[in-house]
Amino acid sequence: MDLTPNDEQVSFISATAKWCADNLPLDGARSRPPALWQQLEAMGWTGMTAPGMDLDHATEALVLAELGRHLAPIALLSTAVTARWAGQPGKTALALLDKDLTGGLVRVFDAPGATHALGLVGGLAAITPLPSDLGGEPGLDLTVPLAHLDPAPPFSPIGGPDAGLHLQLLAAAFAVGCADAARDMAAEYAKLREQFDRPIGWFQALKHICSDSAVRCEVARSQLYYAAGALDAGDPGAAFHIAAAKQLADQAALENARANVQVHGGIGMTDEAAPHLCLKRAHLLSFIAPVRRDILLGEAA
Amino acid sequence: MDITFSPAEQQFRAECRDWLHDNVPDQRRPMDAADALDFDKAWQRRLFDAGWAGINWPTEYGGRGLSIVQQVIWLEEYANANAPWIGANFVGVNHGGPTLILNASDAQKAYHLPRILRGEAIWCQGFSEPGAGSDLAGIKTRGRIEGNELVITGSKIWTSFAHVADWQELVLRTEEGSQRHKGLSWVICPMHAPGIEVRTIRKMSGQTEFAQVFYDDVRIPLDNVVGGLCNGWKVAMSTLSFERGTGFIADQVKQSEEVEELLERARQTGALKDDRIAEQLAQLRAEVAALRAMTYRNISQVVRTGQPGAESSVIRLFTSELGQRLERMALLLAGDDILDFRYGDDNLVAEYLRGFAATIAGGTAQIQRDIIAERLLGLPKSR
Ligand SMILES: Cc1cc2nc3c(=O)[nH]c(=O)nc-3n(C[C@H](O)[C@H](O)[C@H](O)COP(=O)(O)OP(=O)(O)OC[C@H]3O[C@@H](n4cnc5c(N)ncnc54)[C@H](O)[C@@H]3O)c2cc1C
Repeated sequence: MDLTPNDEQVSFISATAKWCADNLPLDGARSRPPALWQQLEAMGWTGMTAPGMDLDHATEALVLAELGRHLAPIALLSTAVTARWAGQPGKTALALLDKDLTGGLVRVFDAPGATHALGLVGGLAAITPLPSDLGGEPGLDLTVPLAHLDPAPPFSPIGGPDAGLHLQLLAAAFAVGCADAARDMAAEYAKLREQFDRPIGWFQALKHICSDSAVRCEVARSQLYYAAGALDAGDPGAAFHIAAAKQLADQAALENARANVQVHGGIGMTDEAAPHLCLKRAHLLSFIAPVRRDILLGEAA
Repeated sequence: MDITFSPAEQQFRAECRDWLHDNVPDQRRPMDAADALDFDKAWQRRLFDAGWAGINWPTEYGGRGLSIVQQVIWLEEYANANAPWIGANFVGVNHGGPTLILNASDAQKAYHLPRILRGEAIWCQGFSEPGAGSDLAGIKTRGRIEGNELVITGSKIWTSFAHVADWQELVLRTEEGSQRHKGLSWVICPMHAPGIEVRTIRKMSGQTEFAQVFYDDVRIPLDNVVGGLCNGWKVAMSTLSFERGTGFIADQVKQSEEVEELLERARQTGALKDDRIAEQLAQLRAEVAALRAMTYRNISQVVRTGQPGAESSVIRLFTSELGQRLERMALLLAGDDILDFRYGDDNLVAEYLRGFAATIAGGTAQIQRDIIAERLLGLPKSR
């Protein structure tokens, strides 16, 4: 039993963190260079989960948490799942289907350059081919192009139940990264901004907002590690552990993002400043592979 | 990363489980203080004789010399088997002993550690004073050096188990006129020494588990100082790191048992059909799972680097508040039956009332939040 990253994983994490710091600054998330996806491909992050790569879920979750911290493209999630379970190379957009799953509207995120979109149909991962010219405009999450398909095209399942769990795990990893980003942004600002002749982080009211964010990050990250390990080990509790990770990661991302706006005061609620980027990403992530309460309660059939 | 246990660890788990299955007493820990003390001592002795006391303590002092992973496996099985709370042995086993292992002289260790493990010596902790709670450096209790003796005057308060203890971790001011963190010493104080008076204090749960202790020219040998004269702040911080860190693993493990019991109760009574209750229980189950993951992550860190990560303070705060959420859920499920509570009842109401201690004792939740913001996030110190 070991829930700390091993040496190889540590070097994976630091290489990812370094590349992201240089190439994916969070405050530039709205205007990423057009060639970003090709760069991500060149770095190996779009194909690392392909069957021949034998990458474990734990390493994958660690790397995606780093990318998620920089609000990296959302299609990294759907592409990773499609690569692993359908062995399909190339970019796969992310689809969110209507709740009733029959017909209705499909939202497609990050479509430009993607041949397919992946979504969950009744908890199972499924893909559909995309029209080649499907583009999109930013919606709530300003960093991601969003397009609509109406009526919904037919989806064909890929992988087994684990493919759906895989998507949930990776979305949780992105949310953990997003929560970390909001925590760090708040703490940094609290050290810099001065009022009453001292950094605002000196005031306990703000200090405690920041420590609650830190607690949520540690809680969600720990459960993410356990959940990834459970999927790797074929543990019978994997579905529960991944659901728990997603639940706590979504909460951490949302609550830390809100706290970050508060810590920033007026500038925090402007379009110009970065805090709302985390907030809006957190909302989007909460709709990806949402958690079922019966699974958390251990009552799923 | 790997969540699976090695075959040797699984074998160890099976041994724990088998022994606990055959040996956990049917009798609950008594409510009466004197009966509880006898019970605690007898149970600790049984654990020691069977090799389950001090699993990760050095062998030369009666421990097993195994790793913290085995210690955690034991505690998990201990909670699964519904084995009794270690009660009066808490201070000695969880932080007094570990503080001695780290800081004491060979003679002090050789005398005290085996007695703690065998349940022969009960310890209590004399840190807090009426004027020094969160602000521990405000300690006023004094020890005047006379020849090779310390002469102690002053008072400690909220001292759990003081009325049954043989020894005390006592932090006092040994340098006349010293301020704050300087001039303090951590000493082993015999609780039966002349001049010590213990006045028990009743809690809102009805129990008298803590006390105020008065010292009136109490003479103890200067040899009882641990870790050097006037080095008490440093030694006290190591005590607190054990108290706030590994000392709580048992509580953490117990919480996963508790949430399953609550869920079962909610199922049986039909309360689970209430959406709000189902939602809260789902959340609690996720949180308890994460707490276990955090504990595993923390001990993995100990195994890898020899010390717990900075997240220890996070675990401590999270466990204490999670425990209180569980107690409030138990209360919600019990409904108006709680109104029948009387002092002496040993039930969920008593647990709920005692549970307020989790965010007060051993450093309040407010102080923990300061520590997290300052040490983990680097915000400026405000105290
Ligand atoms: C059940 C129980 C058992 C205990 N057992 C022991 C024991 O065995 N040995 C021992 O030595 N002590 C023991 N204690 C004492 C415990 O350590 C203290 O109660 C604790 O440190 C708080 O000190 P205080 O009670 O003086 O409260 P105070 O320090 O007076 O705090 C009162 C309130 O003010 C807040 N506060 C204080 N300072 C600050 C600040 N700087 N910023 C923000 N808020 C602040 C606190 O968080 C709290 O809410 C026990 C306490 C309890 C409840």
